[in-house]
Amino acid sequence: MSGAPTRRVVLALLRYSALVLVATLLLLPIYWLVVASFRPAADIFATSSSFGLATLLPERLTLEHWREAWSGELPHAVANSLFVALSTVALGVTVNSLAGFAFAVFEFPFKRLLFAIVLATFMMPFESIVIPLYVLIRGMGLTDTFAALILPEVASGLVVFLFRQFFAAVPKELYEAARVDGASWLQIWWKLTLPLSGPTIATASLMLFVHQWDAFFWPLVAAPGPERVVIQVAVARNVTLEVANWGGLFAAASTAILVALVPFLLLQRFYLRTVAAASER
Amino acid sequence: MTRLSRRAGLAGAAATTALLATRPLRAQAKTTLKVIWMGWPEGQVKPLMDSFRAARPDVDLQVETIPFVQIFQTLEVRLGARTPDPDIFICDSPLTASYAARGHLLDLTPHLDASRFTKSAIEAASWQGKIYSAPFGSSCPVLFYNKKLLREAGIEPPPADVERRWTWERLVEAAKKLSDPAKNQWGFSFEQQERPYMLLPLAQSLGGVALSADGLRATGYVDGPAFLEAYTFMQKLYTEWKVSPQGLFDPNLPVEQFGNGKIAFLVAGTFNEATIKNKYPDIELGVAPYPRFEKGKAVTPTGAWHIGVNPRTRHQKEALALIDHFMSHDLQVLWFELRPYPPVLKSVWEKEARRFETDMWKIVRYELEHTAVPRPATPGFREYEDILRTALRDITTGADVKATLSAAAQKIDRELEKYKA
Amino acid sequence: MKHGFREPWSVVAWFLAPALVGLALFRLAPIAIALFGGFTGTRLTGETVWVGLRNYERLVRDPAFWNSIEVTLLFNVIVNPLQILISLGLALLVLRPTRLVPFFRAAYMAPMTVSLSLTSILWAILLEPTMGPVNGLLRSLGLPPQPFWRSEDQALATLIAVASWKGVGYWMVFLLAGLLLVPKELHEAAMIDGAGPWQRFRWVTLPLMRRPLAFVLVADTAANFLLFAPVYLITQGGPNGATALLMFEAYQAAFTYLDKGRALAISSVILLVIGVLAVFELRLLRERGA
Repeated sequence: MSGAPTRRVVLALLRYSALVLVATLLLLPIYWLVVASFRPAADIFATSSSFGLATLLPERLTLEHWREAWSGELPHAVANSLFVALSTVALGVTVNSLAGFAFAVFEFPFKRLLFAIVLATFMMPFESIVIPLYVLIRGMGLTDTFAALILPEVASGLVVFLFRQFFAAVPKELYEAARVDGASWLQIWWKLTLPLSGPTIATASLMLFVHQWDAFFWPLVAAPGPERVVIQVAVARNVTLEVANWGGLFAAASTAILVALVPFLLLQRFYLRTVAAASER
Repeated sequence: MTRLSRRAGLAGAAATTALLATRPLRAQAKTTLKVIWMGWPEGQVKPLMDSFRAARPDVDLQVETIPFVQIFQTLEVRLGARTPDPDIFICDSPLTASYAARGHLLDLTPHLDASRFTKSAIEAASWQGKIYSAPFGSSCPVLFYNKKLLREAGIEPPPADVERRWTWERLVEAAKKLSDPAKNQWGFSFEQQERPYMLLPLAQSLGGVALSADGLRATGYVDGPAFLEAYTFMQKLYTEWKVSPQGLFDPNLPVEQFGNGKIAFLVAGTFNEATIKNKYPDIELGVAPYPRFEKGKAVTPTGAWHIGVNPRTRHQKEALALIDHFMSHDLQVLWFELRPYPPVLKSVWEKEARRFETDMWKIVRYELEHTAVPRPATPGFREYEDILRTALRDITTGADVKATLSAAAQKIDRELEKYKA
Repeated sequence: MKHGFREPWSVVAWFLAPALVGLALFRLAPIAIALFGGFTGTRLTGETVWVGLRNYERLVRDPAFWNSIEVTLLFNVIVNPLQILISLGLALLVLRPTRLVPFFRAAYMAPMTVSLSLTSILWAILLEPTMGPVNGLLRSLGLPPQPFWRSEDQALATLIAVASWKGVGYWMVFLLAGLLLVPKELHEAAMIDGAGPWQRFRWVTLPLMRRPLAFVLVADTAANFLLFAPVYLITQGGPNGATALLMFEAYQAAFTYLDKGRALAISSVILLVIGVLAVFELRLLRERGA
């Protein structure tokens, strides 16, 4: 009976090799970027054309770019973007999960048409609606406010779609039972569906978060004042036509990446907990 | 003394305007001017703005610095909405005609004394005989070289004397000796390998003209014999002689390669002198004028950032006061100290002469007076620039020069159609 | 229970209203204006004039438009199935929470924290023909350096690879969430019935993954049709039109050629194409007889 354990070892080995290979491919570019932010300006590209140990391990290290990046508007931009992204997540998860719930659970006239319209909202290039959107936000007197950055991104056709698809995994029998017990639909959404949809809420939050964290063009149009500067704008300011401050760019970019990783790590724990809870059920 | 009195005059003027403005002002809030500015580092923006704030305490400036990659798009959205916002915006000089034709620029002719500016700056700011943007800086590329690499290869460096400027033919001969593609070692590169700004002078040196006089026709110009000859030569730099690295379209990358000693000659803007010296203090930097063709004349590009006033502004008086302030001698000197673009005011060149005694500045001063040709004044410059840029890009990677240029010329004509009224 | 619960509008409206009001205001109204704009032209002075179908007629006669249709379809035909297959594979690889798996999950999600413009800048440098580290690696392995973005033959493939570098971890997250919602009991029951891993995947997991897969397929299609940052920042649609995606054409029309009518006409085409594909994809993955 030594065949089975050997096979299992081989399989595990294969699995881990695949895991490591993919991780290397995906992480190495980010590693290069983060390491470059610690190299003196003159060294960043010195070793790039001939690959060797020096490409991966810098000979000289400096905190100069990080100090420079952090002495400017970057901390302010990180705080602004966190505020914008987290507000959008809180509002967006609520609003879109309500709509997704309706589309998944209810039967009502014009449902298919309404749903098709919801889907269409994420299929139009943003760049082609930016001028009317700007005129609207201006008309509402919202330019240069956080509201201009948050409000247009709260309702998202894509996130409604996500909730609608994933809420279908909750067995309808549970709803019927709850209805028999006299629960209102709002109570069912809040006390039954949402608690059973941990991974769904987590992924929806992630979508909304990443969307706002990456926001670049819209913030420049709608709220370009220095008070509302967002992270990607602060990163991009390191490059002009004449001079690229590569070190500064990479340090600011590394900040953006590392801060955004936090929600992902939280998601990890959330996933694990949900799975544990599910297996206890 | 002149300086003092000028400053006093300025303060006087400011005081008068302030007095005139008091009546409608009463005790209400300050006037706010919205300014869209290039995303230069804060240290190069704030001193300028603070200087105006100090001169005009009754006016508040709200400055939005936009990163370079998105500045044109952001301006397009903001101006395209046709509102009074922004009041003032930074304007790439060759886009002056484009903005003016679409009603995004206030005619500044009555407010600017053209005789104070260098000729090339006024040309770059003009369209159909009127001045639409206030020149705020100029530009001029020069030929940088790495003295050490030349010495090691036994090449006599090019003279800084504009009368004895090198020809492209001579430069290629030298570059061949300095190139070893297998070792990623290159004789020559343009800083901007694809941008018409830096490459138009090649064709212009051979007598080529960028566009028809009315600025609305490219066929017969962009696909003419001078363009064909010039860009065939340019292509050979990459494909036949292999003296230039292919595909370094990001203008910052050739500079890095030059700094790392991988490129010996670099045609690049003057601002790179400071960048290279700061980042690569060990490099022995030499400077010579932009080359010409053996049978051609010397031509250099110019133009840079200007300032425009939104004609829909509700605070025209204050906006023009800002233009006046930014066009003053003192502020232009401050700007030069912050960011050394070639100045646009004659008085800066004259009164600050000691700053311009280096080889590089002597060359630049000569070029701006004698060889600089602004980019074509056409309302369709953005279209022109982009289509030609894509064509030049494809030529560097080996596309058929004649076919590429004539396709580009036709495409430009198609886009220019909309400006024929 | 075949369909949902039949409830009066007064109940449904409470759930739909917040999202629909936001969407109507900030998306549908501007989209309606944009669709309308496809039938208009803009005078230099800013007035909008009705031009009927002229923008579309000009598109149909423009070889650049047809080239970009071709490039866009080719790009999407490859990139969407490729990304979904890889992300599904990754999701399955990291599904079982064995040791180190949390690390790998996080590692795979890391590229999605890199913004699109930064992804473009980074990969432009890494794949530079002369000074890029990737070519440095090839040289040190004795392989010839590759032009990547700068070659007509390789540019689109490079774009697909870079889009996937950023995308696969993202789509993996959704598929993983879907897999986590598959009840364990079903697997256990199938195992007792003697089903092997493939059979369990095919007959237990896959049917329950229809809805998550439909979501990822539609969302991924939309994302890839709307992608243009790397094209704008690295290739400018070249070399020789090899990466001229429709979305890039629309962007160029709007912000470089200052031809709003053309830009909005192309945008409308994009909306239409994604819409048709989405309907097709949703049909493909609809639950049969459920």
